[in-house]
Amino acid sequence: MDVFANLATGFSVAVTPTNLLFCLIGCLLGTLIGVLPGIGPIATIAMLLPITYGLDPLAALIMLAGIYYGAQYGGSTTAILVNLPGETSSVITCIEGYKMARNGRAGAALTVAALGSFFAGCVGTIVVAMFAPLLASFAVKFRSPEYFSLMLFGLVAAVVLAHGSVLKAIAMVIFGLLLGLVGTDTQAGIQRYTFGINELYDGIDFVPLAMGLFGIAELMANLDRKFEDRSQTQKVDSLWPTPKEARLAAPAVLRGTALGSLLGILPGGGAVLAAFASYTLEKKVSRSRANFGNGAIEGVAGPESANNAGAQTSFIPLLTLGIPSTPVMAVMVGAMMIQGIAPGTALISERPNLFWGMIASMWIGNAMLVIINLPLIGLWVSLLRVPYRLLFPCIVILCCVGAYAISSSSFIVMMMAGFAILGYVFGKLGCEGAPFLLGFVLGPLMEENLRRSMVLSFGDPMIFVQRPISLTLLLMSLGLVLMIVLPSFRKTRNVAFQE
Amino acid sequence: MIRVSHPQDFWSGLLFIAIGALAAYLGRDFAFGTMTRMGPGFLPKVLAWLMMGVGAIILLRSLVLKGEPIQASRFRPQILIVVAILLFAQMIDRVGMVPTVFVVTIVAALAAEEMRWRDTLLLAVGLSAVCTLLFIMVLGLPMRPFAWSF
Repeated sequence: MDVFANLATGFSVAVTPTNLLFCLIGCLLGTLIGVLPGIGPIATIAMLLPITYGLDPLAALIMLAGIYYGAQYGGSTTAILVNLPGETSSVITCIEGYKMARNGRAGAALTVAALGSFFAGCVGTIVVAMFAPLLASFAVKFRSPEYFSLMLFGLVAAVVLAHGSVLKAIAMVIFGLLLGLVGTDTQAGIQRYTFGINELYDGIDFVPLAMGLFGIAELMANLDRKFEDRSQTQKVDSLWPTPKEARLAAPAVLRGTALGSLLGILPGGGAVLAAFASYTLEKKVSRSRANFGNGAIEGVAGPESANNAGAQTSFIPLLTLGIPSTPVMAVMVGAMMIQGIAPGTALISERPNLFWGMIASMWIGNAMLVIINLPLIGLWVSLLRVPYRLLFPCIVILCCVGAYAISSSSFIVMMMAGFAILGYVFGKLGCEGAPFLLGFVLGPLMEENLRRSMVLSFGDPMIFVQRPISLTLLLMSLGLVLMIVLPSFRKTRNVAFQE
Repeated sequence: MIRVSHPQDFWSGLLFIAIGALAAYLGRDFAFGTMTRMGPGFLPKVLAWLMMGVGAIILLRSLVLKGEPIQASRFRPQILIVVAILLFAQMIDRVGMVPTVFVVTIVAALAAEEMRWRDTLLLAVGLSAVCTLLFIMVLGLPMRPFAWSF
């Protein structure tokens, strides 16, 4: 078959001893840095990027793949062990993974996350190989209205999938969109909300925002608890999942992979959406729903697989539409650009060796991850034994250095402090950070496409329902709202009724 | 005084209204434009008013719905963490990595009530060394171990 012939080409160019060595080093470094609390995959990849500068494009890509998977897995490890999500999608992993760690099942959670991710990555690779060329032809039909509707769908999904109050999630998305507008308005050429500060001309940087809002804010919330409540001395059982856990996790991995492969294709937070959706699905189909929130292994296995499958298939919109679907992907695009590789439809036809080599290297990075990390899980788990009073100053320092390193600017470090306060207040008020983050990432893109659509239709908003793909996407958003908001309406009504 | 039955939502609502109002105020001079040619003020204004609207609904609902109280803050640890980060921002360019990390570690560590001086000093020394080694020597980030520029 064509697909396999293409994949074989990819592997033949990608698999050389030197390339594998680069991948190994990348994966090891990625995990090592990524596992440090407060340094998420984005910061990790950004920090390690300079190492790949001197290599030829394919070797650099393979090393990057190693760093990427290492950083992602390292991020999941921190999420599970110390409840610090490095990026949006590992917010979900925190929910059950951290609880599992508190129950002494950290080893099992990490093993399941690694194996689930690997399986999902394999499936995702095949899906990309089969559908990327197909979707490239479909993607040509996408114009601004379709892009706008697609991103709206992503935001609606984020609101609907956030737990807690729907209204507060909506307000958080709007707040995120507003902050996303900070910076130079490229069409009118004027500054918006920049107060004449140089660092804000290109918009608010994602890294200090994420580190402040999630990393530092979480730490400040932790310090409110009594010393005894947050002491981390917990026993760690065997690293392998028990047969019962394996039985629960395996179908969750399959469902997560399927969901992730499908949803990852949607640009605008596909992988994040997949992790959210998988968690919701696992909660719905689980026979022991009471376990959720108390360390249900399905809640780790499903979202982790979904996230990884989604991360893999989100290469499809990246390669066909040129939209990075997650902040991490955006960093990867930056890394590719440095190597002179521009993602887009032309890549498949013009540089097939590189394209298929890239897909093959993603799989290699994935495999390397399992090979390295299974034996090292014990080491990561032992991080738990570090008392919190020693751990959190390290997190503060690492976040500070990470924020400062972006552009050697102390303003960015101070901005991180501001976001930390904001995140702490949001936490106290029960407002969720994830919808905020998605709004922030999609804000500028949405504005651009909204403007273009309006120019296209001479100011007629009906353009969004007149174009079939756009209409379908809007109807899907509506469906999501009806599907999940209705029962919650019923629930709140019931609560009000009881009072 | 009105008894707030859902304090979390009450204050969230107020916060969102305030943010919306601030965004509308700061963006008051951005041109709104027309539907065909949207100006730089179109989305900021629409979003700001939407935010105030949603905030108002949350606020009104909070007077009717019942919810958990807001957990008390200790303030001391949070202030110390923020001070530590601000110190980092102010010191790193002026005195370099080693003294900055040393001081910031100690200030941050004070945030925990179970802090022990001996461990903290050891940690501060260790972190200064590790950060210099890892970030400056291995990763080659543009920072100096020591500096003196005011």
